[in-house]
Amino acid sequence: MAEPLLPARPALWLVLGEWRAQPLRVAAAVFAIAVGVALGFAVHLVNQAALASFAGAVHSVAGSADLQIEARTPQGFAESLYPRIAHVPGVAVASPVVEVAATSGQIRRPGSGGTASGRLTLIGLDPFRAVAVTPALVGVRPGRDGAAIDGVYFSAAALAATGARVGGPVTLAAGGRVWETRVAGRLAGVGRAVAVTDIATAQWRLGQLGRLQRLDVRLAQGADPAEVTARLRALLPDDADIATPAGEEARSDSLSRAYRVNLGMLAMVALLTGGFLVFSVQSLAVARRRPQFALLRVLGLRQGALARLVVGEGLALGIAGSILGLGFGYGLAAAAIDLVGGDLGGGYFGGARPVLAVTPGAGLAFAGLGIGVAVIASLLPGREAARARPAVALKSGADGDAGARPRAWPGLALLAAGGLAALAPPIAGLPIAGYAAMALLLAGGVAVMPALARVLLAPWQAMRAPVPVELALRRLWGAPRGAAVALCGIVASTSLMVAMAVMVASFRGSVDDWLGQVLPSDVYLHLEGVETAGLDPAAQARLAATPGVARIRFQRSIAIRLAADRPDVQLSAQPVGATGPVQLPRVGASATPPPGEVPVWVSEAMVWLYDARPGTRLTLPLGGRKVPVFVAGVWRDYARQFGAIAMADEDFTRLTGDATRSDAAVDVAPGADPRRIAAALTARLPPALAGQALVARPAEMRAVALQLFDRSFAITYALEIVSILIGLVGVAATFSGQTLARAREFGMLRHIGVTRGQVLAMLASEGALLGLVGGIAGISLGLVMAQVLIHVVNPQSFHWTMDVSLPWGLLAGLFAALVVAAAGTAVIAGRRALSADAVRAVRDDW
Amino acid sequence: MTGARPASNPAAVPALEIADLAKSVPGRQLFAGLTLAVQPGEVVAIMGESGVGKSTLLNIVAGLDTPDAGRIRIGGSDLAGLDDDGRTRLRRRAIGFVFQAFHILPHLSLVRNVALPLALGGGDGQAEAAAMLARVGLGGREAARPAELSGGELQRVAIARALVHRPSLILADEPTGNLDHETADRILALLIGESRDHGAAAIIVTHSERAAAQCDRVLRLGAGGLAPANG
Amino acid sequence: MRRWLALLALLLAAAAPAPAPVAWPAVRPGVPLVFPRDHGAHPDFRAEWWYATGWLKTAAGQDLGFQVTFFRVRPGLGEDNPSAFAPRQILFAHAALSDPATGRLRHGQRIARAGFGLASATTGDAALVIDDWRLQRRGDGSWTTHAGTGDFGLDLVMTPRQPLLVQGEGGYSRKGPDPASASHYYSIPQLAVRGHVTRNGRREAVAGTAWLDREWSSALLDARATGWDWLGLNMDDGGALTIFQVRDKTGGAQWAGGSYRSAAGVRTVLAPADVRFLPGTRWRSPRSGAAWPVAPVVMVRLPGGWRRLPVTPLFPDQELDSRPAGPLYWEGAVRVPGGRGYLELTGYGERLRM
Repeated sequence: MAEPLLPARPALWLVLGEWRAQPLRVAAAVFAIAVGVALGFAVHLVNQAALASFAGAVHSVAGSADLQIEARTPQGFAESLYPRIAHVPGVAVASPVVEVAATSGQIRRPGSGGTASGRLTLIGLDPFRAVAVTPALVGVRPGRDGAAIDGVYFSAAALAATGARVGGPVTLAAGGRVWETRVAGRLAGVGRAVAVTDIATAQWRLGQLGRLQRLDVRLAQGADPAEVTARLRALLPDDADIATPAGEEARSDSLSRAYRVNLGMLAMVALLTGGFLVFSVQSLAVARRRPQFALLRVLGLRQGALARLVVGEGLALGIAGSILGLGFGYGLAAAAIDLVGGDLGGGYFGGARPVLAVTPGAGLAFAGLGIGVAVIASLLPGREAARARPAVALKSGADGDAGARPRAWPGLALLAAGGLAALAPPIAGLPIAGYAAMALLLAGGVAVMPALARVLLAPWQAMRAPVPVELALRRLWGAPRGAAVALCGIVASTSLMVAMAVMVASFRGSVDDWLGQVLPSDVYLHLEGVETAGLDPAAQARLAATPGVARIRFQRSIAIRLAADRPDVQLSAQPVGATGPVQLPRVGASATPPPGEVPVWVSEAMVWLYDARPGTRLTLPLGGRKVPVFVAGVWRDYARQFGAIAMADEDFTRLTGDATRSDAAVDVAPGADPRRIAAALTARLPPALAGQALVARPAEMRAVALQLFDRSFAITYALEIVSILIGLVGVAATFSGQTLARAREFGMLRHIGVTRGQVLAMLASEGALLGLVGGIAGISLGLVMAQVLIHVVNPQSFHWTMDVSLPWGLLAGLFAALVVAAAGTAVIAGRRALSADAVRAVRDDW
Repeated sequence: MTGARPASNPAAVPALEIADLAKSVPGRQLFAGLTLAVQPGEVVAIMGESGVGKSTLLNIVAGLDTPDAGRIRIGGSDLAGLDDDGRTRLRRRAIGFVFQAFHILPHLSLVRNVALPLALGGGDGQAEAAAMLARVGLGGREAARPAELSGGELQRVAIARALVHRPSLILADEPTGNLDHETADRILALLIGESRDHGAAAIIVTHSERAAAQCDRVLRLGAGGLAPANG
Repeated sequence: MRRWLALLALLLAAAAPAPAPVAWPAVRPGVPLVFPRDHGAHPDFRAEWWYATGWLKTAAGQDLGFQVTFFRVRPGLGEDNPSAFAPRQILFAHAALSDPATGRLRHGQRIARAGFGLASATTGDAALVIDDWRLQRRGDGSWTTHAGTGDFGLDLVMTPRQPLLVQGEGGYSRKGPDPASASHYYSIPQLAVRGHVTRNGRREAVAGTAWLDREWSSALLDARATGWDWLGLNMDDGGALTIFQVRDKTGGAQWAGGSYRSAAGVRTVLAPADVRFLPGTRWRSPRSGAAWPVAPVVMVRLPGGWRRLPVTPLFPDQELDSRPAGPLYWEGAVRVPGGRGYLELTGYGERLRM
């Protein structure tokens, strides 16, 4: 008869018996896995939905265009390119497009909520061409069929953004002009805020005469795309480039990829913490059932079978938790999209509401992850159960601890590996090695805890202390196993919490400092949607002449495309002094530009993405030409993740031919009221631009910026709390797990004269000591992990650096709360042991 | 008590054969040159002072501990050639255990507790377990939980468990240590009776002279090994 | 006469949110036609077309019909818009091949706004381009055309054998009871055609006879008109017969007219009383549901007396559906005793929307 790997009946009897006897503990473990799986699954679902809707938007706008010729700057390229492209053999249709950012009515500040942002994109098309390439953009007039040549057609999001109705009037401001028109009809199937009109109307009304921003090209059937692309590229001027829908998707993907991966990692953190809880529950269950396991071994259960029994228990926990987690995660994702939006607060996907779609593959993957974590967490306890010597365990019962000295080297090895991994460069633009380093450091820290605990407790052994505290010390010293599990839970959750808290505090502190440095003036004026026109020199002079203005500095930025598969880079005209831009916080070394070369100063992200180190050169597409510039220095920028370039005012005007400006920083004369000055400035704006102006003072801007920051980290805060709670549950599990076993001990203590209060104090001391040791270790480990987050993960993800700032108050408060909570949990959980009858303990100790 | 003991057949294979067993623990030598042979159906009592190594001897016989020297054969099978899994299987098949502390799993019903040795081998065993429970006087209470039973009743369950798989050897470590006198007498009689009825050899470690008096042979464990006890 | 073009002009004009006050010049009598200038475009007028139809015979003796039409519309939009894209002139072309083997029309179209050299209708002489389609009058007086889709292709040279035929009174052709409903109109009948037709990827040489109609106008159709029927016939004896009627909603004629030029060159202008269309058999389209009178009997009073001309289509299904952007009409190769040409029927499947 072939022997089964695990005799099913006794295994089932034992597992079911355990679940009946310890339902809360089992439920806690199942719940922990469920929470981890739910969070990961929910983040994944929301990501997929948002990306799919974004890709859908890209496709619906790109239509059946095989490729697009895009302008590198908002100024566009000369329209004479259009017939040249149309005549290229292999091109079936070339559809010319004018595309301009516009505003309607009074624009709202970012972060002030609501959907009527006032911002939309105006597109001008030739319907005769567009209907063959991007039919989604050709407007439909209600009640009539056929493509119409005049009238403006709005998408649903554009109607919401402007507050206009179909058939009603609307005023649009773009390119420095104001255009009053009516909404002729609706654009269906377009997610973004887009309004479409005839290309001739767009060129005329939006000041784009002679220019185009895009040509949508459809290739002839049977044409070789590579060949035609090569022919097209040969015709392109310097201010145009070829983009494919795949490239566009890659751009939009990379816009938010780092953020999404970060979120996913945080969700994995939750799953890992759930795994720790399973580990602690299983360890405790194994320790408590040691005599039972010993009996089974004596009666004839093989070592391997016993290990498999424990792992099988973990598997059952994992399956139950994963199924629960998938359902819970779906609900969470739906709620998140409704409440917070598809970008979970990151501000990346404005507009359409994404639709949740579940693929069985994703569900299976996350279920597998939850099951895997539960199984892995049961491996060590299972091995320990198998290795225990039955004879010893039978005699000494659950209390029995081999007393073997805990080994430190596995933990130290993991810590070292984590340190090495932290030094690795990014993989595919993501800090994979950084995340691995975090996981290794965490695992190493936890593994080294039992040995570390003895080291930390050693100096206290010699001390005299009140009886309860001494009892607690001796116990923890002598039986590190029981305490180890609770310790590991505390260390894991504390270190994660501390790491995230320090990272967020440092980030926030750096952003706050940065805001202080880049916003030194008293009043700031910003014009929206003026990429192609702004305050001309006359208007600038008028503003400068406002009474009460001591000094006014003007600025302008445009988006330029340096690489086809990367998001646009912001080029800004800045006032520049002897050492470089006046308002930008500099980082690192500088290089002196050789005479005759145009100096620029780049943000940290430029160094990451384009290798634009000081002393190197860049080529910028300006004024229709490719202009070489010299990188003179690097500055810190938290506003633009994908790169920003600052150039001197005069150079900008000369190279782009654009003397208009879109921003102004105003220093008021001493004694003047900034609010009055702000109102005076607004009154002096050209009427066409008045509706697009935002005037703010630095305090307001900082408040808004920090508000946005907090919102995008809301999820992180939530996950921090989850991990702390799970750690405390670990403590509770440890102490309540030992209840029955220690009833005998407490009974004995009572008999020799220890009062009830002293026993409670002993429990509290044990809990407090655990909290103390775990807290010190956890905070230390957390500080190390925070360094990885700050110096590896963040820069590799978002291409900026930050200064470390420790939230001492938070850490101290956390430490105190942890010690108190651990003590309290220990007392509450262990109190049951005191109320049990000491005599009855004989019966219960089988 | 069931009746006359079966005659020892000199030609039969001994249920247990120990030759030249030696064991030491850190600090002292427990015993050396220990030799013992127990025939099927024979009940042997082993007495001795605390700490002399009685439990260790039982552990070695059960394959739970390894001797420094010597040979052990259970029902003809040599323990030495077996790995841990092999010894486990042998234990499951050929040995039954009764402990001082009963060691009945608290969360299983009586019948499942008794069926364990059979279930661990992959079978069901509950029918045989019910029959054994009836034999030890607990028939009809298969579904009861251990918490409902007295000490004596729990030891009956243990005896039923020790015999359900028809082992060739019973090892009992102070089986009456936790029981009062009357119950102890009854339990011991039950244990010895059932062992003899099933043709199993039994080794009973005990402090009680009364208990030892019920057995076929009484041996005393000392540093030099096992020797017949006086009286 | 292809009045349905006015439909397109109407669509485009009606689309303007507020009608732009554009002064399209009116068609007045007494304006002489000057050539070659009037072969070219008249951009001020609201609508204009160059309309070539004809019969072809392949080397194998198979009969085919063809139609190539280029239209120019001045919708009155963007007149003051300085952009080079301003839709001041919209160019539109249809091409169709009537192949009895297929039993239905193969057709295609092009539409673009004039500009950038991609689409143009030049003045001074006939030169029309819309992307890859063209219709041009060469220096030697012959007309070439190139049009087609993936489905079929036409490459033809049409050479005049007779002098051109000025319609109406010196080119002033009335189209309704109101004298303002008129167009400038001339035709070139009896053109000798040579060239190639591509079908199913195979290119074959063809030859035949064609008819070119030229018309430009600014006036709307009379409000009560629902459609029109037009017939252009190259007679076997070298004569050229043009007959049309404009129908009102009772189905009867609101206006009618035409002309006859004998082989000797004697021209007769037909008055409304000289022309009658009698419907005859109808063919119902399985696609649009319209009932086209594809075999009418036409009564025309010529100098020699009333002639009865029963019309026989090459095959019934020569319906062209270019909705929703364009109209639904029937344009097919037809025979009469003693001649052959093209019949056009409009306003049958749907009411003209004005």
